[in-house]
Amino acid sequence: MSEQLPFGGIKVADFSWIMVGPTTAKYLADHGATVVRVESASPPDRLRAAGPFKDGVPGTNRSQFFGDFNTSKLSLSLNLKNPAGVAVARRLIAWADVYIESFTPGTVDALGIGYETACSLNPSIIMASNCLMGQSGPAAAFAGYGYHASAIAGFHELTGWPDLAPDGPWMAYTNSIAPRLLAATIMAALDHCRRTGQGQYIDASQLEMALHFLAPQIIDFSVSGRVASRNGNRSDTMAPHGAYPCKGDDQWCAIAVESDEQWDALRRALGDPAWARDDRFRTGDARHRHQEEIDRHLAQWTSGRSAQEVMHLLQSVGIPAGVVQRSSDLLRDPQLAHRNFFRYMDHAEMGNIPYSGHQFRIRGYESGPRFPAPLLGEHNELVLREILGMTDDEITEVVAAGAIA
Amino acid sequence: MLSPYTVLDLTDDRGELASMVLGDLGADVIKVEPPMGSSSRRMGLFLEDAPEPERSLHFFAFNRNKRGITLDLTTEASRRVFLRLVEKADFLIESARPGEMDELGLGFDALRRVNPLLVYVAITAFGQDGPYADFAASDLTLAAMGGSMSLQGDPSRPPVRITVPQVWLQASAEAVVAALTAHARMLRTGEAQFVDVSAQTAVVWTMLNAMVAHAIQGSDFNRAGSTLQLGTIALPLVYECADGYAVLLLNGVMLARIIHWLVEDGVVAQEWIESEDWRWYDVRLLQGEPLRYGIQEVLDACRRYARRHTKQELLERGLREGVTIAPVNTVEDVARFRHLQERGYWLVAPLPDGGQAPVPGIFARLTETPMTVRRWAPKLGEHNQEILGGILGLAAEEVAAASGTRTG
Repeated sequence: MSEQLPFGGIKVADFSWIMVGPTTAKYLADHGATVVRVESASPPDRLRAAGPFKDGVPGTNRSQFFGDFNTSKLSLSLNLKNPAGVAVARRLIAWADVYIESFTPGTVDALGIGYETACSLNPSIIMASNCLMGQSGPAAAFAGYGYHASAIAGFHELTGWPDLAPDGPWMAYTNSIAPRLLAATIMAALDHCRRTGQGQYIDASQLEMALHFLAPQIIDFSVSGRVASRNGNRSDTMAPHGAYPCKGDDQWCAIAVESDEQWDALRRALGDPAWARDDRFRTGDARHRHQEEIDRHLAQWTSGRSAQEVMHLLQSVGIPAGVVQRSSDLLRDPQLAHRNFFRYMDHAEMGNIPYSGHQFRIRGYESGPRFPAPLLGEHNELVLREILGMTDDEITEVVAAGAIA
Repeated sequence: MLSPYTVLDLTDDRGELASMVLGDLGADVIKVEPPMGSSSRRMGLFLEDAPEPERSLHFFAFNRNKRGITLDLTTEASRRVFLRLVEKADFLIESARPGEMDELGLGFDALRRVNPLLVYVAITAFGQDGPYADFAASDLTLAAMGGSMSLQGDPSRPPVRITVPQVWLQASAEAVVAALTAHARMLRTGEAQFVDVSAQTAVVWTMLNAMVAHAIQGSDFNRAGSTLQLGTIALPLVYECADGYAVLLLNGVMLARIIHWLVEDGVVAQEWIESEDWRWYDVRLLQGEPLRYGIQEVLDACRRYARRHTKQELLERGLREGVTIAPVNTVEDVARFRHLQERGYWLVAPLPDGGQAPVPGIFARLTETPMTVRRWAPKLGEHNQEILGGILGLAAEEVAAASGTRTG
């Protein structure tokens, strides 16, 4: 049946870890590819050691941080420091159409599973290396996380308040950009390979991918010398524009007034109070100059209402307004429910839990994670025997050598 | 890689990155703008702060590798011409509000009759249907509804978005994955595909570990300023240095190395090196075991150290000695970042005003089919004659009529 899926029949050896590589491979896995996630018990993927953990109890197989990024994959636990483990890795690379890795540059060559080796095993392989800075250059060895890359790319400087140290985006922002562009590149390379039989090597740097998300500001700096800076929730062109406090504990509704028409609509929605009729607030430029004053009045109005109430009231007159939602809000968001976004599946250790779903829907195709994330090494036997075609003797040998760990 | 394919790009600022990425990957992209131009031509930043259609840096940044034509799709004549382009296209990407293309008679069901193998990608705020489908939306409100804002900002102040709008870029990048997945499905099924991309869910994915957190651990993650929660401890991630800020996570491995730097600078006494097992400091801290030096004392020492050095010094020493310290770069620092220069990342682009500037280069390097920038963002209607006249064979008068450029 998976042959009918977009990437049914495609074989992926996923030697990556943490976020970018695994999320990239997940796109292929959820849409039909057979993906073998190569892991190790020493150490396990860092995400297996990071929460959220089921019921708050840590455990190798209890992290949904790992789970959300590794659905529809098979897990093979392999010790790449062991020659017999490397031999298994080579068989896997020979089997695969796509080989993804995210080690520090130079590591796969040192392990004996670099691109040259991969090509000799499998001339049409598509191999994708991804790391923060790319495979070359003076900072290639910089072995950090997405929050380091976010700082280097400029996102930290641009998130927070002008009078405080930068807050930075949540967690590891560039890790949400890179998988999209890398998955697209691999899909394009697969299409090229389908038509021509030609594989290739892809060097992807998280930094170089993410910088496109600041392209206008970077170009602007070089032509005008202007250096973009963080500005809370302010907009250069819109006012009012911010998150306003609502009834309850730490509840907020974001409101963005894009035009004079929307300002008039907001005024009416508020019951046309005297303060809002002030001539100083009539045009966009004027509102921009007096936005602190408008914010105070608006916050007073929102404070007496729930964030949902504010959103629906303002949306009913065409003003962009949205509740600042947390995970708990998203899990009951009617729009996400309408899209069947969260998918509940039975995980061998965590039980029936939700997985984040897909960001696009293809008409006539109910896509989503096909099966839950694997336990560490859950599919060792299946991968060695059925995928790599190893005999009982061969399997006994690699296990005895300590390769499967 | 995608050179056999033609993409029709009907997007405005909400989708232009999507078709640009397909263009970078090799596709032939034809951008179809209304006669007044894409909305992004009216978005700042502008060259010399002149708000003119050919001076928008936003438009310039996200429309390379595209040829540009204008069509007034509200007229029957233009729509007929447009359908002839659809016949020749493999992908169509649009970012109109739900139902808008149907109202023009150019919805998916109409277009698939003209081209039964078309991959049609629609980018909207919340998706094509559902209770919020017709909600008004902006970058800020989608950052709120998609969850990322709840995780960002100082806890004593309102939650914040990333100051530079990101939502539609995230949705656009996701739309490329959507387009190529649907294309792979079209190859299997032999049928046209309709893809519905939701910007809200693209934002949800920027929450990373926080998306389903409440259902797993029974609580939400919340904004915590610039700290990173590690188990029960929140560690600072941002340190002030001599000329700005740097990002550093002080785990045991980093501490074991940095402690020597602190001693060398005289920030702490020599005895600090020997009187604590720094490599396991964070683990013992998390487990509540007794420590020779308390965490606040250690953080204060590191803060004192950081303030004495520039972010570049910290980066370079870190690179030499295996300590991961990232400078909090401004766009100016990014433009001057030596690593990117030595990688040959920047491309020099001719700007619409005759000047030139370095711009972000190709986003991944391929050995056999390297990505290239074959052309920069088109002027409004630049390729009307080449495409409408040359490819479709329209007479000059027909080109003028269809493109809405007829004078007089």
